[in-house]
Amino acid sequence: MERKKILLVDDSSTVLLMERMILSKSQYEVVEARDGQEGVEKALAEKPDLILMDVVMPRLNGFEAVRRLREEEATRSIPVIMVTTRGELESVESGYASGCSEYVTKPIDGLELLTKVRSCLGQ
Amino acid sequence: MTDKPSPPDVVATIARHGSDMQRVNDKLRDLISTLRTSKDRLAGSLGTTMPEIHLPASMAPMAPPAANEPALELENRRLTAELAMAREQLSRAAAEREELRKHLDELEVEHRHVCDQFVEAEAQASEMVQAHATLQQIHGADGLEALLQALQEVVINVVGSEELAIFQVEGGELRLARAFGVDAGPLQRIPLGQGVIGRAAERGTIYVAGREGPPEDDLLTACVPLKAGGKVVGLIAIYRLLGHKPGLGPSDQALFELLTTHAGQALALRRKAGPAA
Repeated sequence: MERKKILLVDDSSTVLLMERMILSKSQYEVVEARDGQEGVEKALAEKPDLILMDVVMPRLNGFEAVRRLREEEATRSIPVIMVTTRGELESVESGYASGCSEYVTKPIDGLELLTKVRSCLGQ
Repeated sequence: MTDKPSPPDVVATIARHGSDMQRVNDKLRDLISTLRTSKDRLAGSLGTTMPEIHLPASMAPMAPPAANEPALELENRRLTAELAMAREQLSRAAAEREELRKHLDELEVEHRHVCDQFVEAEAQASEMVQAHATLQQIHGADGLEALLQALQEVVINVVGSEELAIFQVEGGELRLARAFGVDAGPLQRIPLGQGVIGRAAERGTIYVAGREGPPEDDLLTACVPLKAGGKVVGLIAIYRLLGHKPGLGPSDQALFELLTTHAGQALALRRKAGPAA
């Protein structure tokens, strides 16, 4: 079976490391970006099956990065899971309004993350 | 092997026997009637009363048998036999269903047990990932500033708080090394033994608000002393947790213990190596 490719976008090396460990053990191929701008560029170049996007990042925040991805034909339909420290309704609504498919809150729970990743990938 | 008569033969035979019996009875009734007449005539000529002749009950005139009565009787017997067989099959099916239900219940219990084990294993795996990431960040930090940054990231992303302060012990007091999300002003210097933070550093034990009596400071959630060689070299003060995190759990306690040892050693080593290290 072909391995699904997931793009991780976060400015925290701790979060990237945890996400990589959680997803790699489930046989996903992982690529990383350290901010929203790099995330958009990597998404266009790598054509991932799914993107995990942090919200607060330098250069380009997660909401704006998702809006740009939705404007591009090549990345418009890629599902995006927002990974945020903000669990408030307002933040969640902003995420959905920008075009994200799902969200998880930090601290990351491995089982919750895997469940939502599998759901977004239709597995 | 004897040939069994088919149902129509049996019906015909019984009907024939019935007709014969009826004819015999009719003749007997005629005979009795004749005897009665002769008796009455004799009694008249003799002027005496003769005893009454009674027919036996079995000789009483019978209603003509319904032509389809034997067939109905046979059908009744056949249906009764079928009903008995059906009842037996139903009984067997009910017993089988009961067995299957028991088996299903056992499978459901087993399934729940496996699911619980899976969730527990995933939770343990998640804790391992957190511990591994924390250790890698702490020991992989290149210099004191990188270590402080790593500790800040661990508190935000693993513990789940965006309000924290990190102190180093210098000259018998705690000196603020880094603050995030809190007013750094009042935290610059805290004497050992003063307030919740100072006491936690002096004792060298982890403080968790509300664990032993009412919280001593409404804003503080936890104080994690950092130790090296049995001495406290620093402390992490954690204030409010993220809004969606309900409270500290066993995995947080395990993480605090890990930080006490590993972050303490890493801090002592970075300080020993000098500001540039």
